[in-house]
Amino acid sequence: MAKRVLIADDTVFFRVALNEILTTGGYEVVGEAANGAEAAELALKLKPDIVILDVVMPVKNGIEAAKEITKLKLPVKIVMCTSLGYEPIVEEAIRSGASAYIIKPLNAEKVLNTLAGLGPF
Amino acid sequence: MDTSKYKALYLQETGEHLKGVEKGLLTLEKDPVDAASVDALFRHYHSIKGMSASMGYDPLAKLAHAQEDLLDKIRQKKIPFSADIAGALLKCLDALRNLVARVEEDIPLDVDISPFVEALKAAAEGSPSSAPKPVAAVEETAPEGLKLSHVMKVEGSVFDDLLATVGDLFMVLSAFRALSHESRSVAVKDGIYSLGKTVNTLHGSILSARMLPIADLTEGLPRVIRDLCKACGKDVELKLEGADLRLDRAILESLGSPLVHIIRNAVDHGIEEPVERARSGKGAKGSITVRAYSKKDRAVIEVSDDGRGINTEKLKEKARAKGVPEARLKTMTEKEVLMLICVPGLSSSDKVTDISGRGVGMDVVKEAIEGLGGALEIESVPGQGTNIILELPLTTSITKTLIVTVGSEQFLLPISRIVKVLEVRSTETLKGVYQIEGADVPLIHLAAALCMKHAERPFSTIIVVEHRGESGVGAINLVGVIVDDFGDEIDAYIKPLLPPISKLGGVSGITIMGDGRPVFLLDLPHIISKCLRQGI
Repeated sequence: MAKRVLIADDTVFFRVALNEILTTGGYEVVGEAANGAEAAELALKLKPDIVILDVVMPVKNGIEAAKEITKLKLPVKIVMCTSLGYEPIVEEAIRSGASAYIIKPLNAEKVLNTLAGLGPF
Repeated sequence: MDTSKYKALYLQETGEHLKGVEKGLLTLEKDPVDAASVDALFRHYHSIKGMSASMGYDPLAKLAHAQEDLLDKIRQKKIPFSADIAGALLKCLDALRNLVARVEEDIPLDVDISPFVEALKAAAEGSPSSAPKPVAAVEETAPEGLKLSHVMKVEGSVFDDLLATVGDLFMVLSAFRALSHESRSVAVKDGIYSLGKTVNTLHGSILSARMLPIADLTEGLPRVIRDLCKACGKDVELKLEGADLRLDRAILESLGSPLVHIIRNAVDHGIEEPVERARSGKGAKGSITVRAYSKKDRAVIEVSDDGRGINTEKLKEKARAKGVPEARLKTMTEKEVLMLICVPGLSSSDKVTDISGRGVGMDVVKEAIEGLGGALEIESVPGQGTNIILELPLTTSITKTLIVTVGSEQFLLPISRIVKVLEVRSTETLKGVYQIEGADVPLIHLAAALCMKHAERPFSTIIVVEHRGESGVGAINLVGVIVDDFGDEIDAYIKPLLPPISKLGGVSGITIMGDGRPVFLLDLPHIISKCLRQGI
């Protein structure tokens, strides 16, 4: 069965782009959140297999959302999404529960490879 | 990333962020320590940078990046927000706007943004004098007062609501039309006539605002095919034709998964392995064509492949095994046999594959298409390929209908299926068939079909309708539906039925009449098939 993904990014632009990359890559996008708080809420409600969190978001940023989702102890893999130059911040997220990260500008192949590399669910 | 299709979204969203930047800068000028505004500004620049970099608009990305860096420093309280910084950022905002305008007008972004970046640095270091001189390429223009974008972002659901409202308007209009028939006042008749014209125009505008090109749907197909080919070791070329045909958003949305399903079947079952293709004298590369065109007020989408075609003998065998009577199989036309692949559990392919299973799903595809008010047909030539033809309405929701009466109840019939209406002596209908142009047309009593009492009258009203047979294919036959009376033609806004009413056979929707009465739209194919089977 297709893996179910929740996307969190404050720009529609990246949500649409990511949605397309994932859908054509055989994933099912089950929800989209526009900020970190929504992401945590939807993660609990939709129980996705994967959550992709943009780092810079209003209300709650991606790092805070990653921590919150980790605390929920859901069987979900967290993937951070960020711009070039923010890798150090992402490492903080990895320490607090994220499994991997992808870098903007988005490259479809890299995104799909990263998700494919998330290993057993 | 194929960026061209994201341009409209980019422009619209960047425009919003630029507005946010302006608002933030103006707030900070008044209150330089407003942390929330600093955060918001940082995010605006960050988003503009990210989107611009993704679109390959480097000067925009770099300029936004420089501003983002500056805001980051302010955010971390490394430097304070100053009037100089505000001034420099506002100048940069104008430059950003200029660049975005260039993007919109497809003017190359060959501009030097370094003076703006320098000015930002100078302002951050507290040396105010070095305001950037206007660069030839990025003319410094005064902000043009209040300017609204001519592209608006509207939730899709707004159009659904608008359409529903126009639907209600149609109902009210129908009630007025009925009154105008009774009225002798020319002014009333004129008024209602112009009202009708205006509502129609409004309806047309809303429908066209809801239309999207089919390309929005099909542009994802190359990737789907690529992945399918990788998975099964075949080589398939996809051709898209007529991608600019426009359909209602709701129809397009529901068409996605049926279309992918058909394509999957084509790659998996239709197109042969390269070795098999070579043996039958075909090129190693298979070909799938998705052709969209309009036919009257309907959209037609054909998905054809040059594969092995459907083996009808095998299909018949399976149908036999599944208990379809031999007599039925013998009388089936070629097209009806092909439609067997839409019967759950039947498929001509022996192997179960990861990609499309055992053809499971063609029944779902057919159901989805019919649910949209469309029809599915299959053409196949052994050894040459298969063509799946989807015929769909271009728009949704408003259906031209005829009011008919049975006993004390009114029902709606879709005009599109009606050929003509006849008034005949009731005695002429007793044989259960009526001759039209030399052919015997079977008659059914709507009252009996709906288990209702009909009025005893010397004359009968026969609504002659087209009927395609249950499988949705085969020659179109005429059937006469006997009703007690018929009334006006109305444009009805048909609402879908919700459970438990949706479980009723024979009705496909409901509309609320101008006087508040609910009236059902009848599902003629269902009713006719049932009656012909039971001999009512």
